[in-house]
Amino acid sequence: MAQVFSVSEVKQLLEQGAQLVDVLGEDEFEHDHLPGAINIPLKQLDASTAARLDRDRPVIVYCNDFG
Amino acid sequence: MIDYKPGKQAWYEENEPREGKAVDEIWIGDVAGSDVPTCSPTETIGDIRRRTGGWDTCVVVDSKGVVLGLLRKKELEADPRATAEQVMRPGPKTFRPNVTLEELLKSMREHEIQTNSLVTTAEGRLLGVISRADAEATLAHEQAAETRTDS
Repeated sequence: MAQVFSVSEVKQLLEQGAQLVDVLGEDEFEHDHLPGAINIPLKQLDASTAARLDRDRPVIVYCNDFG
Repeated sequence: MIDYKPGKQAWYEENEPREGKAVDEIWIGDVAGSDVPTCSPTETIGDIRRRTGGWDTCVVVDSKGVVLGLLRKKELEADPRATAEQVMRPGPKTFRPNVTLEELLKSMREHEIQTNSLVTTAEGRLLGVISRADAEATLAHEQAAETRTDS
């Protein structure tokens, strides 16, 4: 089940080795993204694309904002 | 899985770093100053003027720092007994910190904003201000540096 975190909590998790996934489109990702994020656009998110992720480390997903 | 729900926008509102092509852009959050005076809606113009002497701008904010209105030179010269709320320009135009300087200046020209623009979070919390003169000077300086690099 997904949990909701703040900016400072995300930074702390990243320091502890969490993986960051940007689910926005490729163009938007190329323009700007959070440091260290990998891009798996939401429409491409399935078992094969998620295989890029390390199952033993926490995964943080983000998009633009609440909107 | 952790859902970072505030998302990219909230990250940039905290002035955290970015990667991608945008590292070569100047965002207004990178250059906005945060030392602009603020006041509550109930403070009187006389008190504000005494407290902010030298400034021609004061941002009217609520207890959470959310922008309610703006006092420019004309409003700061109003009746000193009037409250900020009575004379402020309500609901001024605001910009998010990840707007580029070029986009800001285009919008300032279109909306005929001659002085300061307010930078806020998506919820309206004040982050800083940037003057049109500073925005134009910073952009001109950056463009001159790019020209030197290209030649």
